[in-house]
Amino acid sequence: MSELFGITVTATAEKRPDLNKTYDILIVGAGPSGLTAAIYSGRSKLETLIIEKLSPGGEIATSEWIDNYPGFPGGIAGSELANLFKKQALRFGAKIISAEVKKVERSDKIFTLQTDAGQIRGKTVIVSTGAEPVKLPLPEEEKFRGKGIAYCATCDAAFFKDKPVAVIGGGDTAVHEAIYLSKFTSKLYLVHRRNELRAVKMLQEEILNNPKVIPELGFIPSRVLGEKKVEGLEIENAITHEKKTLDVKGIFVAIGIIPNSSLVKNLASIDEKGHIIVNSKMETSVPGLYAAGDVRNTPLRQVVTACGDGAIAAFQAEQYIKNL
Amino acid sequence: MEKLLQAKDEEYVKDLFQKNLVNEVKLTLIVQSQGGDKVNKFNEPYLPYAEEIIQEIASLSDKIMVNIYKDSPEKEKEYAIKNVSALFIEGKNTDKNIVYYGMPSGHEFSSLLEDIIDVSRGLTSLPEVVKDKIRKISSAVEILVFVTPTCPYCPKAVRTAHQFALENKNIKGVMIEANEYPEWSEKYSVYAVPKIIINEKVQFEGALPEEEFLNSVYEAIGINLA
Repeated sequence: MSELFGITVTATAEKRPDLNKTYDILIVGAGPSGLTAAIYSGRSKLETLIIEKLSPGGEIATSEWIDNYPGFPGGIAGSELANLFKKQALRFGAKIISAEVKKVERSDKIFTLQTDAGQIRGKTVIVSTGAEPVKLPLPEEEKFRGKGIAYCATCDAAFFKDKPVAVIGGGDTAVHEAIYLSKFTSKLYLVHRRNELRAVKMLQEEILNNPKVIPELGFIPSRVLGEKKVEGLEIENAITHEKKTLDVKGIFVAIGIIPNSSLVKNLASIDEKGHIIVNSKMETSVPGLYAAGDVRNTPLRQVVTACGDGAIAAFQAEQYIKNL
Repeated sequence: MEKLLQAKDEEYVKDLFQKNLVNEVKLTLIVQSQGGDKVNKFNEPYLPYAEEIIQEIASLSDKIMVNIYKDSPEKEKEYAIKNVSALFIEGKNTDKNIVYYGMPSGHEFSSLLEDIIDVSRGLTSLPEVVKDKIRKISSAVEILVFVTPTCPYCPKAVRTAHQFALENKNIKGVMIEANEYPEWSEKYSVYAVPKIIINEKVQFEGALPEEEFLNSVYEAIGINLA
């Protein structure tokens, strides 16, 4: 029981931004990249404000266990790692507020963020807003979202205790979700459009050896069945178009992510998939504006790479401020 | 019982309270014991911990008082109790309207700490424009927020409901831990959290920004914005 009372997310005292101040660095999003940027900028004694719309930690707060972040040979709970990042950022003087940024503007070398906590000004901005899951591309998605269709296993697994569910997707995230869910569910169908999973080999072995798991490889979801809630899922073979129905009460979707880049879409260059385009210094097309972590054009979306991005972005922002 | 708070966390919370608490805060737990008419196999295992955690928290600041009422039909009536274990955060500006049903554990533990600080200071960090609108609401509003302790998006919804309650006594903000109350969750078809139900009329899933949350409250009490 005591593991439930670790300070998963530290409560903080100062919750209002100083609207009269021009901060050195404004960091939008308190995931691993944003919090790491704050550790670095704090140590450089730059006035740093992190603006987070939900809870600090970002995507990792929904990861039950993280096994590939160096320094934790036995792995670490995602929410605990998030909390450690946050504590470290606070230790070096960063301030975190809870607010949603609606718009980023720039004039006379000063950025203005329109937020629900007022207009916040800064000399530089690091966009570390991460990404959000791609919705299940079926017309029934909206009707059944929250009524059997779900996107966060750690949040919602408890509602599918001893019930059959399907996980859609074949990457690391999908397999992680499936591993977590299999501890609750009676049966788990892993539906992936290719004949082979994309997840790293170790995860593949773990999930395919799980007696509760039935892989449905080469299949794509074609229809969600049910009246008021999910009562089944029809899937279709990607090649033969053969259809079959899975008796499931829940459908967990992990088929990719969309970068949360809309905030700067009229300001910075963005690629066709929505990633903010940066160079190796995390510089966007706008001087003083940086992007780090899952929101940028990165080849690998991991905690360790997000942290690296955050450090570089903060370092470059500091150089930029020196030359202002 | 083994302590629930680890020494390093205790130190952190103690320091947090020292720096932030202003006025006295009362943690009122109204709980049934084993054999109570609302106790079942889902919530029974948590009952001893409900008491333990608030005692441990209260021991970290002399500004925090604890009241525990066990199997007290009078108190259940006075506080309009709906289920087996209800924790009220009470201060100068509250009126039995900031409530947790079930353990504020996992991600919700931070909600509890932040609630205690807000209630003690008698103020919230809601945007001024939202505060103004909230304070003007004169009809009764009850906001139920279903959560699980492993949901990182849930504290935002719980905190918003509780902050609304602290700004206006007509509003009651209620957290419900879905694992402990499966029947209650079933009644509102909760399959994903956070799920928010306002006055039994309006419902939505997910953590909304405060202004949009407020619009749902308006909708529930029949204020048309259009």
